[in-house]
Amino acid sequence: MPGVLDFNSVTKDYGSSWSRRRVRALDGFTLSLERGEIFGFLGRNGAGKTTAIHLALGFMRPTSGAGHLLGKPFGDAATRAHIGFLPENVALYHRPAKKLLRYYGGLNGMRPRRLQLRSAEVLRQVGLELEANRNAAKFSRGMQQRIGLAQALINDPELLILDEPTSALDPLARVTMRELLLEANRAGKTIFLSSHQLSEIEMICHRVAILDQGRLIKLGKTDDLLVSHDRYEVVARGIPANSFEHSLPQVSSLPLDRDGRVQFTVAASAQRDALQRIWSLGGEVLSLNPVRRSLEEVFVELTNKGSGA
Amino acid sequence: MSPVLRMAGNFLREHRWPALLLFGWIALLALASADLGRQRAIPGDVEFYIVQQAIFICVFSAFLAADAIHNDRKSKRILLVLSKAITRPEYLLAPLLGTSVAAIAYALLFDVCCLWLTDRAHVAGAAIWPLTLLVIAGSILAAAVALFFSTFLNPYVAIAATVLLFTGPGSLHLQHNGWSAWMPGFPILLAMIDLKLTPDATIQWKAISIAMAQSVIFWMMAAAVFNRRDIAVPVE
Repeated sequence: MPGVLDFNSVTKDYGSSWSRRRVRALDGFTLSLERGEIFGFLGRNGAGKTTAIHLALGFMRPTSGAGHLLGKPFGDAATRAHIGFLPENVALYHRPAKKLLRYYGGLNGMRPRRLQLRSAEVLRQVGLELEANRNAAKFSRGMQQRIGLAQALINDPELLILDEPTSALDPLARVTMRELLLEANRAGKTIFLSSHQLSEIEMICHRVAILDQGRLIKLGKTDDLLVSHDRYEVVARGIPANSFEHSLPQVSSLPLDRDGRVQFTVAASAQRDALQRIWSLGGEVLSLNPVRRSLEEVFVELTNKGSGA
Repeated sequence: MSPVLRMAGNFLREHRWPALLLFGWIALLALASADLGRQRAIPGDVEFYIVQQAIFICVFSAFLAADAIHNDRKSKRILLVLSKAITRPEYLLAPLLGTSVAAIAYALLFDVCCLWLTDRAHVAGAAIWPLTLLVIAGSILAAAVALFFSTFLNPYVAIAATVLLFTGPGSLHLQHNGWSAWMPGFPILLAMIDLKLTPDATIQWKAISIAMAQSVIFWMMAAAVFNRRDIAVPVE
């Protein structure tokens, strides 16, 4: 069964066909988005994220490979009526926000009556209902980004493709945006989110893909990605805080004494020794869990490895 | 309202200031050519005004259309437009339609100015209405040709290419060639230059029909080229 958005071995080279200086932006990229998920798309600057999005929307053609958007080949105009897209840099015409939203909605074939209702609704959702009659092109960058999101939502799309949606937003607006996306997802929308805001991706995305130099280097459920199987966190009780300082070199952090509890991390290979030592000291093991890292740690580790750093 | 009409309306709105400037230009030069201090206008001045403005409207239409794609790409506004249910041919039809509407409005103002001037010069105005139709057809064709060239050339080069296509056959003295009627824009340009303010002028339906058909062909060619363009790649 085809996904909401499928890339099948897509390669994209920039530069004219007769030019020797060709840059490969995407290299055999394969990915499938499942209906109803929030998907985080990560990568350093120039990794190929925006190129992948632009290919999906038909702004450009792949050099090789193919892809499908809502079951139709990339570039199918009618399919785009069911998509909402927010580009990285929102550029708007000089028109009042309300009229601009009706204009973009009208391009998707929406009827005037529905347009009127929806434009008021999405302006309220992004917190710009009081600015409805102001020239949108003169808004601050953060407000333009919110109008950008409003135009992406106006047609009540099945799939939202967002390229850096929070890059210009203040912390409060970011929280609002996050809540908006979660609400949209609860309403059944699939969300494809490209962002450098790793903490946000970590908070709301079901799955994550990491792209480096045009290649997919990691794909998986966010929770699985964040759990390390190399290190474990041990919580014990009834042993002195300094029990492990010299005896187990794999213990990475100093034990912390809190309410008589000792907490430390240990390499996977040393976990059995650690447990036996706790028991031999008359202590009790309260928990043993894989260490959970932040997405930032995972991202830095993977992209540094990819670039050979 | 259909998406194409919406985009055409938006195109006109975005270009309202240069468009209004040309309206003022046409009216102002008509006043200047009217010799208001005299009892009647000089027929030579009136004829010069008519030919000059007729050609000018066509050139301005080419300018208006040639810049359309480039402007949208440079500002990246094109991304939001083409992320909607809009095909590339529809996207190209919008500036062509917008320019055509502007050209018709210019031509009607031009028509009124010319009739007033011919009346003041005491010469026959019968040639004005046939010329107005030629101006409309020539403007639409100029816009279509410029739009086609602008799909793969810088807008200024596109305008130069359009002017070259229209005037090239004249430079090569091909007016007596049997095929000259089919050369884009050339018969219209000839008719404008050879304008005679006589009472027996007739509408040149053949030249107008050919120009309209060629406009459609150039729009289709533009769509074929533009369909293959990477529109997200930045332009200078």
